[in-house]
Amino acid sequence: MMPADPLLRIDGLHISFKAGQQWRDVVRGVDLRVAAGEVVGLVGESGSGKSLTALSIPQVLPPGARISSGRIVFDGTDLVGLPRKAMNERRGRDIAMIFQDPLTALNPVIPVGRQIYDSMRTHQAIGHKAALARIEELLALVGIRHPRERMRAYPHELSGGMRQRVMTALAVSSNPKLLIADEPTTALDVTVQAQVIGMLDRIRRELGIAVLFISHNLDLIAEICDRVCVMYAGKVVESSSVESVFAAPRHPYTRQLLRCIPRLDADTGPMPTIPGLPPRFDSDLVGCPFAPRCDEASDRCRTSEPPTWREPGHLAVCWDAA
Amino acid sequence: MNRLRRLVHFFGGPAGFAGGCIAGLLLLSSIFAPLVAPYDPLAVNILDKLLEPDETHWMGTDQSGRDVLSRVIWGSRASLAVAGFAVVIGVTFGVAIGLFATWVRGGWLEQAIMRVLEAVSSIPLLIWAIALVGIFGVRDVQWGPLTISSELKLMVLLGLLYIPTLARLTYISALAEVASNYVAARRLQGVGELRILFSDVLPNCLSPVIVQATLMLAIGIIVEAAVSFVGLGVQPPTPSWGNMLSNGRNYLISGEWWLSVFPGAAISLTVVAFNLLGDGLRDRFDPRHSTTMGYAT
Amino acid sequence: MASLFLRRLGFSVFSLLVVSLLLFMLTRSIPESPARIVLGDEATKTQIADFDRQHGLDRPIVVQYAVWLERLVLKGDLGRSFTTGLYMNEQIADTFPVTMELVIVAFVLASIVSVFLGTLSAFYRDSLVDYFARLLAVLGVSIPGFWLALVLILAFAVERDWFPPGGFVPLSAGLGPHLLSIALPCFCLSVFYLAVITRMTRASLLEVLNQDYMRTARASGLGRGRILMYAMRNALLPVVTIAGVSFGHMFGWALIIEQIFNIGGMSRALLTAINQRDYYMVQTVVMVFTIVFVLANLAADMINGWLNPRLAAAAA
Repeated sequence: MMPADPLLRIDGLHISFKAGQQWRDVVRGVDLRVAAGEVVGLVGESGSGKSLTALSIPQVLPPGARISSGRIVFDGTDLVGLPRKAMNERRGRDIAMIFQDPLTALNPVIPVGRQIYDSMRTHQAIGHKAALARIEELLALVGIRHPRERMRAYPHELSGGMRQRVMTALAVSSNPKLLIADEPTTALDVTVQAQVIGMLDRIRRELGIAVLFISHNLDLIAEICDRVCVMYAGKVVESSSVESVFAAPRHPYTRQLLRCIPRLDADTGPMPTIPGLPPRFDSDLVGCPFAPRCDEASDRCRTSEPPTWREPGHLAVCWDAA
Repeated sequence: MNRLRRLVHFFGGPAGFAGGCIAGLLLLSSIFAPLVAPYDPLAVNILDKLLEPDETHWMGTDQSGRDVLSRVIWGSRASLAVAGFAVVIGVTFGVAIGLFATWVRGGWLEQAIMRVLEAVSSIPLLIWAIALVGIFGVRDVQWGPLTISSELKLMVLLGLLYIPTLARLTYISALAEVASNYVAARRLQGVGELRILFSDVLPNCLSPVIVQATLMLAIGIIVEAAVSFVGLGVQPPTPSWGNMLSNGRNYLISGEWWLSVFPGAAISLTVVAFNLLGDGLRDRFDPRHSTTMGYAT
Repeated sequence: MASLFLRRLGFSVFSLLVVSLLLFMLTRSIPESPARIVLGDEATKTQIADFDRQHGLDRPIVVQYAVWLERLVLKGDLGRSFTTGLYMNEQIADTFPVTMELVIVAFVLASIVSVFLGTLSAFYRDSLVDYFARLLAVLGVSIPGFWLALVLILAFAVERDWFPPGGFVPLSAGLGPHLLSIALPCFCLSVFYLAVITRMTRASLLEVLNQDYMRTARASGLGRGRILMYAMRNALLPVVTIAGVSFGHMFGWALIIEQIFNIGGMSRALLTAINQRDYYMVQTVVMVFTIVFVLANLAADMINGWLNPRLAAAAA
């Protein structure tokens, strides 16, 4: 089912943070595949390591964090340990990213058109006039009206939804192969969310871009993703096609997440939640990290690490997955 | 050990702690100058004039044979007194005006006060200090039973020039406090506005004021030295670092370096101490550096 | 932008009005009257009254102020001293350019070096350059310029013969000697502000480098030059404000530095006036300094308005 050589292949990725004198792993061996043109969702609670995993691909981790081991093979090249210059050529051109808060993610004192222009001229042999025309086209493509006037606007002059559209135009300006979207709608109003998601979906179809979509919202994932990876405590605990995750989730954590999706048709009871908190990353983990919050956990789960259960196109890391 | 660590933490780290220690020692030596200084700072001894530093006179002697070390120790009194009292005046009136503006907020009076304060902030401090002390004269003025010395004039003047900055600082932090939720809660409990202002708002907006005041101590020391240096501050024979430097200047070409090097080093050490202390306190109490503005003379 | 300019300009004018009125009242409230200073203690009441009437000193202070202000604004005339009869415009024209030159050279020196150093220090945090810049920042704000001047004269003019120990050589006497004569004064004047601006550049840039939009810039694969430009456009805002204030304050410190190096700029005019109890001159010199100070702040605000579109928008 999966092509032999995916666009992005992450193997055994470990990311650690400096905590006091020592480095602590926050991402603890993530494996991930994204095929060309595929949309993969990455879900998990805050602190599950999903954003760090995303940031590690173009290597824009926050200060104090580093990739401690693993491979990130993109288009046949391992990005880990790639020289700065070679990495920089891929950023923005092959791998683009859009962020959670488009207000803080756009430079406040530079017109938005200029920000797109600078990125385009860095990666493409394109003339000044052609670049301007292309920006206008891109802004129209992401659904901005009067693109010619909007090019001169500063981020604070645009609404939240418009900013995220601009951010998307910036990201796809150099025809990347992979777009990483780190919770692109979390900071937006609910009504605007749907529009932006619709726009993203349309753009990636038109341009044939693979998308790694990070979210804590399973609903959104269901809407636009082909496959979904569920992360817990720095690891992928379940990965499958969207249909089978929703129809037959194998990991208790996924089941709990699904139960937490608010439904309009369900009878009004208290909103279900998952009790407890994810483990602190500075604590030593024994057994299954989800065991303390799992209502199906047995002694085995608490003492030894669970095996990986596999089936074509579906995997889960749980003792009881089968 | 633990207590020491807590003390260091209070000063915002080792640098702030070191600054606090040096400032404390300087303050003690200036208070106990009669005990610390090895000689009388005014004792003239023509036979021992212009001696190079040696074991009897660690910092040498000046043209009248006075011991430079003793004069440096006594000279700290003028510097610290001027800087200290100016800050006290500035903080007292500045905080009062800032709180008053907060109290009358929303009205024309608030606007008027803040506009005038902003306008007066555009006074360049040093030049006004020099000019005004010059205008009012360096001689002692008899005002009823009070003798107003030139130090006192400088103190009051510097204090007045500090007021706008401190008043605006208080006003900005107080306004933020007044708008906060806990103040709204206090109001709902039926606590009076004036009481809220003094018992809730004031304590909470003091930390940036204290930080700024510490940095202003450093500014005050430099300004006092500068004004005395041009002969308008503390008058000889009373020693002050500024007038010692000014005197030392005359002996620079002839090679008596110790007359200018030591008083200047004393100024630098004191200013370093207060700056380190102020920076440390700022890291501790106003970590976002949002309100205080640091050094500006 | 235009409305920001008008607002700031209006405020600057207002500031100058308030401050000049204050200064005017202070210089008129001194115990010795100009008539006594000129005519001496033996002058009769009528002589004093005549003098006051001649110079308009018998009128209320507010009227005197209005007359002074009208002449200044409409004719650019700073008036004549009551005591020496000298024309203020000539006095200022003689001394102001010298002080201005010192301050401008020192300011340019301080700004360029400090922005460069502060940038290096932020980009290469915890490197040797950074430690050097931070040490310089602490020392620079703590060593008073006038003491530094004495030490430098001792080291480079007395012990060695590299620079003249004082005096001002005008440009007409040759570029080399002119530059040598202003080198030490300008250096001493700039050190404090060099430290202040370095510190501000470093702190501001460090904060900007942590912002989300810098992550976007890196994720867009922009080159080093662009990254620097994107960061600096934001980081310079507080630096420009501090630089504007610094420029104004440098004029104050220039007085002391001129005094040490025996340079005949505004300081000599001011201190001579103080010694001669020529309060009109004192008032004029202080007013000129205050105008420069306010204009420097206005210029900084304008540059910031141009750098930061949000400021201009807030004023509109």
